[in-house]
Amino acid sequence: MTIDGSNKAIGRRSAVKAGAAILGGAVAGSAPWSLRHARAASAKPSRLTMLYATSEADSDAIKAALPDFKSIFGMDLVLDTMPYDALQQKAFAELASGSSYYDIMIVDTPWMPALTDKILPITDMILDPSVSNAAQLNLSDFIPKVFFDTAVYKRRQSYLHWPGQQVMDAAAIKKGGFEIYGLPIQANVATLAYRADMFSDAATQKAFQARTGKVLAVPETWDDFTTVAEFFTRPRKRLWGTTMMAGAGDWATDDFKTLLASFGGDGHLVNDQFQPVFDSPQGIQALSYYVDLIAKKRVTPPGTTSASWDTAATAFGSGLAAMSINYHSETLNPMVKGSIAYGMVPKKVQYGPHFGTWMLSVNSYSKNKEWAYQAIEWFTSKPVQVKALATQLHPTRRSVYDVAMQDAGLTQRFANFYEVLGKSLEVGVGRPRLTNYADVDRAVWIAVNDAARQAEKPDVALRKAAMQVKKLLVQAGYKPA
Amino acid sequence: MTSATEFKGMAVAPGQQGTFPRRQGVQARARRLGWGLLAPALILLLVMTVLPTIYLVYFAFRHENLLGSGSHFVGFLNFQRVLTDPTVWWDLLSTLQFVVISVSLELGLGLLLALMLNKRLPETNLVTALFILPLGVAPVVSALVFRVLLDPAYGWVDFYLQSWGIIDQPIDFFGDPVWAWVAVIALDVWQWTPFCALILLAGLQGVPAEPKEAAMLDGASNLRLFWHIVLPLLRPFLAIALVLRAIEAFKTFASIFVLTGGGPGNSTEVINLDLYRVALQDFDIGAASALGICFLLVLAVVMQQLLNVLGRNTDILED
Repeated sequence: MTIDGSNKAIGRRSAVKAGAAILGGAVAGSAPWSLRHARAASAKPSRLTMLYATSEADSDAIKAALPDFKSIFGMDLVLDTMPYDALQQKAFAELASGSSYYDIMIVDTPWMPALTDKILPITDMILDPSVSNAAQLNLSDFIPKVFFDTAVYKRRQSYLHWPGQQVMDAAAIKKGGFEIYGLPIQANVATLAYRADMFSDAATQKAFQARTGKVLAVPETWDDFTTVAEFFTRPRKRLWGTTMMAGAGDWATDDFKTLLASFGGDGHLVNDQFQPVFDSPQGIQALSYYVDLIAKKRVTPPGTTSASWDTAATAFGSGLAAMSINYHSETLNPMVKGSIAYGMVPKKVQYGPHFGTWMLSVNSYSKNKEWAYQAIEWFTSKPVQVKALATQLHPTRRSVYDVAMQDAGLTQRFANFYEVLGKSLEVGVGRPRLTNYADVDRAVWIAVNDAARQAEKPDVALRKAAMQVKKLLVQAGYKPA
Repeated sequence: MTSATEFKGMAVAPGQQGTFPRRQGVQARARRLGWGLLAPALILLLVMTVLPTIYLVYFAFRHENLLGSGSHFVGFLNFQRVLTDPTVWWDLLSTLQFVVISVSLELGLGLLLALMLNKRLPETNLVTALFILPLGVAPVVSALVFRVLLDPAYGWVDFYLQSWGIIDQPIDFFGDPVWAWVAVIALDVWQWTPFCALILLAGLQGVPAEPKEAAMLDGASNLRLFWHIVLPLLRPFLAIALVLRAIEAFKTFASIFVLTGGGPGNSTEVINLDLYRVALQDFDIGAASALGICFLLVLAVVMQQLLNVLGRNTDILED
C-alpha cells in the first residue's frame, strides 16, 4: 500500500531504499523511530514543513517542541505561523493550487467542510500498524466530543456529524463511511474567568451578602451571573461586572451560541437538515438576556458592542471587569494587582459553552505523507502535550488534563484553568458543518450586534438572520429539509 | 508621416520606380521598430491587465469550486445573485458616500493647509514636513493606532473628552454607525489631506504675481482676490487632486477592515470589504468576479465623469 491509500505496488527502487534504510538503521542502532517505522524511513525527507496559527493555537508550544522533534525524527521541521485571516487564505490557496510545499497544516473546524477533498484522510494510516504507533496515538485518550467534532467527516457529505456512539475506534469510523482527517491539537472553549482576589476579599463578600442576601460565589446560573455582575459594576471606579464580545465578528456569534445552548436551544445554529434553529423561543430568550446585560443593566465596560475576544481579554486583563467569558487564555496586566481563577460558563437549563478545536492534518499533495502523519501523531501525543502545558496549550487529551490538575506548579501559575477547561470541553457545543459557514456566521453576528446596540429587537434581528441564512444555504447548494 | 496606403494611391512619375520599394522598405522597418519598441509595454499590459480581465469575465459566468469538484457554467446566475442582493446596493451607496465626504473634506482642508504653508514663513518647511508625516504611515498601522485611540474603555480620546468635561459618558466610536463613519472618515482625512495639500501647494506656488498685483491695485479684498484670481488658477490642480484622491478612495480597504471590520452590524461595509469576504473568506470566485465586474462598470462611469472634469479644467494649463 502506498501512503495515500491507493493500491500501487511499492517500486523496486523504493524497496531497495527501504532495505538500505532498515540495514542502516539497524547498524546505527541510534534511531528507534526509524527502526519501528522502516517503510517511512525509506523515503525520509531532509525536513518537513508545517503551516500553523500564530496565536490562536499556541504556536509557542510547537516551537518549544521542535528541538525534541529534531532529535527524535532526525530531521528539521520548518514552521510557518500566520495570524488567522492570512492563515486561512494561505491554507486554502495552497490546497486549491495543489501545492506540496506544506506537509502538515493546521485546520480550524469551520474550514473543514470545504476541505474534505484536499486534506488527507488518515484513517488508513491509523489502522496500519507499520505506520502508526498505537501506543503513542492512543486514540481513546482524546476527548470524544473534541475528537468527533474536529476530525471525523464524511467525505462526500461533509455537513454530517458522526451519528454513532462517541467511541474512538478508527475501524468503526471507517466502516460507518466516515474518515479521520487529522488529530486535535488545541481545544478552545468558552470559560468564565473571574478575579479570584475580589471574590475572596472578606469585605467584598460581606458587602455582597448585605446587598443580595446571598454568599458571593462563582455564578453557576445566568441569574446568579447577573446578580454578581451587577454587584461588581461601579463605573465611577472604572470597574464593570463582566466583559462580553458583542462586536461585529465571529466572537458575537460564539457568545450567542453559548447562551443559546445553555438556554436549551441547539447551539449548532443550523441543524444537519440545513434548517436555522437559532430563531427559536430559546434563541430569543438567550439574545434578550444578552442585550439586557449590555444595554439595560450595563454591567459590561464601554465599547462592548464593538468588542472582540481580543479587546474583551484586554479589558479584563486591564482590570476593567470582575469576570470575563472568553475562549482564549486570560492574563492580568502586571499593573493590576490580583489573581485569576476559572469557572464553567453559567447555564440556564444546561451547559453549552462554544468550542472549536484546531487539528493537525496532512496535506493530500504532500510528498512525505507518512512522515507527516507520524509527525502529527507525535505532536499530539501525551508527552508533547504535557510539555506544552507550560505555554498554556489547551490540550485535547484527557490524560493530559489529569497531569495538569496534579501538577502543583501549573496550578500555582494557572489556578484551576485546566480543570475547568477539561470539564467545559466535555460539554462544549461546536459549529454547524457548512462550506459557507463564514456567511452564516456573519448573518448571525450582525443580528447579535444589531440587538446588542438596540438597533433591532432580539426577535426581529434573529428572524431576519434566519431568513438570510436560509437564502445563503440554498445559494451554497444545500437543500433544506 | 505619410502612411503606406497613401503611397499605394499615388501616381508614379517616370524615373521614380526604383525609389518606392526602397521607401516601402524604410516604412516597414519603421513600423517594425515601432512595434518592437511598443512590444514590452503591450506584453506587460496584456499579461497584467487584459488576460486577468478576460479571466475575470470567464469566472463571472461560472461556479468555481477551488477546493473540490463541481465547477460549472452558470450563465448570469452570479450577476443575478449580486444584483439582487440588497446589501450590495447598500454597500455601494456606503462606498460612494465615503468617497464623496472624505475626498471633499480632504480637498477643503488640503486647500486651507496649502494656503497656510504658502505663506513662506521660516517655520514653513518644518510644518510642511510634519504635515506630510501621515502620508508615510501604512493605512493598516494608522487604523490600528486610531482603533486604540478611540477605544471607549481605554482610549485617549474618550479619556480626555471626559477629563475636560466635554462628555459624561464615553463615546462608543465603533458601536454606533454614525460615530463609526466619523472615525473611518477622520482616519482617511488625517492620512490623505496632506497629499491634497501638497498638490495644491504646488499650484499656489505657480500662481503668477501680476494678476494678483493688478487686482490689489484695483482695491480687491483678500477674499475677492482668492475667489476671482487664485481659485480659478488653481482649478487644474484641484481637478488633479480630486481625480487622484477619488481613485484612491474607491480602493480603500485596509483602514476600514482594521478599524471597524464593516461594523457595527454591517453599517460601514464598503464594496471592497464585500469583495474580500466573498473572494477570500467564502472563496466563491464566481460571485466575487461578478461583483468585481459590476463595481468596475460603476467605477468606469464615475471615472469618466471625473476625467471629463480633469480635461475641462486642465485646458487652462494648455492655454
